[in-house]
Amino acid sequence: MVVEPTSVASGFSRSGARIPVAGSRSAPRARNGTHTAQSSPVVVRVAGLAVTLLYGALVVWLYAAQPQTVAQVTGGLTSSVGAYRVDPQATEDALAFFRRDAFPESRAAFERADPAHQDARTQFYVAYSYYRQGWGRVYNDDTLFRKGLEAVDLAISLAPGHRLVVDDAMLGMQTADELRAELERGVTREASDFNPFKVFRPRK
Amino acid sequence: MTAVREAFVLPVMFLTVVLLGGVRIGQTIRLMPPPLIALVLAMLLLGILVRSGALAPDRLMSPERSALENLSGVMVLGTLFGASAQIFNLLTPEYGLLHVAFGVFFFVQLATTLAGVTGRQNVLRSLLVLFGSAFVLRFIVLEALYAPDSGLVKRVLTAVLQGASLGTIEYQPNAPATGYAAFATIAIFMTGLVLLPSSSRRSHHHPALREAPPRGELLLLAIALTGSAFTQAATTGEAPTQSAAVVHTDRAV
Repeated sequence: MVVEPTSVASGFSRSGARIPVAGSRSAPRARNGTHTAQSSPVVVRVAGLAVTLLYGALVVWLYAAQPQTVAQVTGGLTSSVGAYRVDPQATEDALAFFRRDAFPESRAAFERADPAHQDARTQFYVAYSYYRQGWGRVYNDDTLFRKGLEAVDLAISLAPGHRLVVDDAMLGMQTADELRAELERGVTREASDFNPFKVFRPRK
Repeated sequence: MTAVREAFVLPVMFLTVVLLGGVRIGQTIRLMPPPLIALVLAMLLLGILVRSGALAPDRLMSPERSALENLSGVMVLGTLFGASAQIFNLLTPEYGLLHVAFGVFFFVQLATTLAGVTGRQNVLRSLLVLFGSAFVLRFIVLEALYAPDSGLVKRVLTAVLQGASLGTIEYQPNAPATGYAAFATIAIFMTGLVLLPSSSRRSHHHPALREAPPRGELLLLAIALTGSAFTQAATTGEAPTQSAAVVHTDRAV
């Protein structure tokens, strides 16, 4: 470090930085002979840099992830360190509702199981519940299908490598790609919508 | 400036402003990144702070400081820039004609401040008035006007405004919590500006204006000028009003 000309009376260097003056309050105190005069500001600055970088990274992450609830903030943080877990009991309840075609109830239970929306499999089931609830023999509910699209997009973004396969025999579509394509077909207006034989198509 | 203030207090304060500056609390919480105009205004604000002496960059970065100290200074400057951008983001409506109007208002006001206001205290006072006025306009007047549960007269007024402006005036009201968060954000930002390392020079006025001449010299000057005025009046027969005015002007300077 460059030694600057300083006034002992003022305790300030030419550049304006405060120079510790012996006996002054800001002078680092020697403890057991291990505390040098230079170490304290260096430690403070290194710690300050670390805190600033961590805080800055948190702010950038928050703006990128756009969490909308406190649960999503905490869930996102725990998920980033691999510590996020869904509630198994709530998941069991949700699947039971789902199999009984009680879709709003199943979504409520899925919300309880995955409040931070960080689990790809849970979000896949949420999207599937929107599909099954919105599916109609004559026409589909566009609002529910759009919500299903949002949920399946989230599931795909959360899945490792954006590939999601759910091994469930009672589902007609076991991959997120199939479900997404089906939901997209549902909200798209095309000539085949007027095909009268469409009423015989099965719900997947 | 102490190392603690430079390394901890200022960056943490400004990062808090960066975080809170984009928070919009409604039915959901949104985090709005700053638009481009906010970055331009932030650069202008930094220029004003440096020019007025409210911020002395050489006390944060200079060849006389060590690498670690300079890195610490870079952090302060970087977070100050981010916080400045977010303050303008916070106080500017997000969409439509109001966004443009507020942007132009800030630009003109900052340009005026840059051109005309000198001295640390004056600039800080000017900024406080600017941000305070914008806060009142944005979070009290506009929020009250566009509140979802507003009365019939307000709804008619906003409908007329929207119709007259061909739909360009649009505003999305926020929950009251946004206003409280905004108030805290502005308070933190202004505190941060006060804590910044300022220039050692007291003012950037002309040297002749900066320091008042000694009273003895002024007295001698006044006597000499008054004497010459009376001498001139005695020769021309006019009252010495103009010369006396000159003396007053000089003293005022």
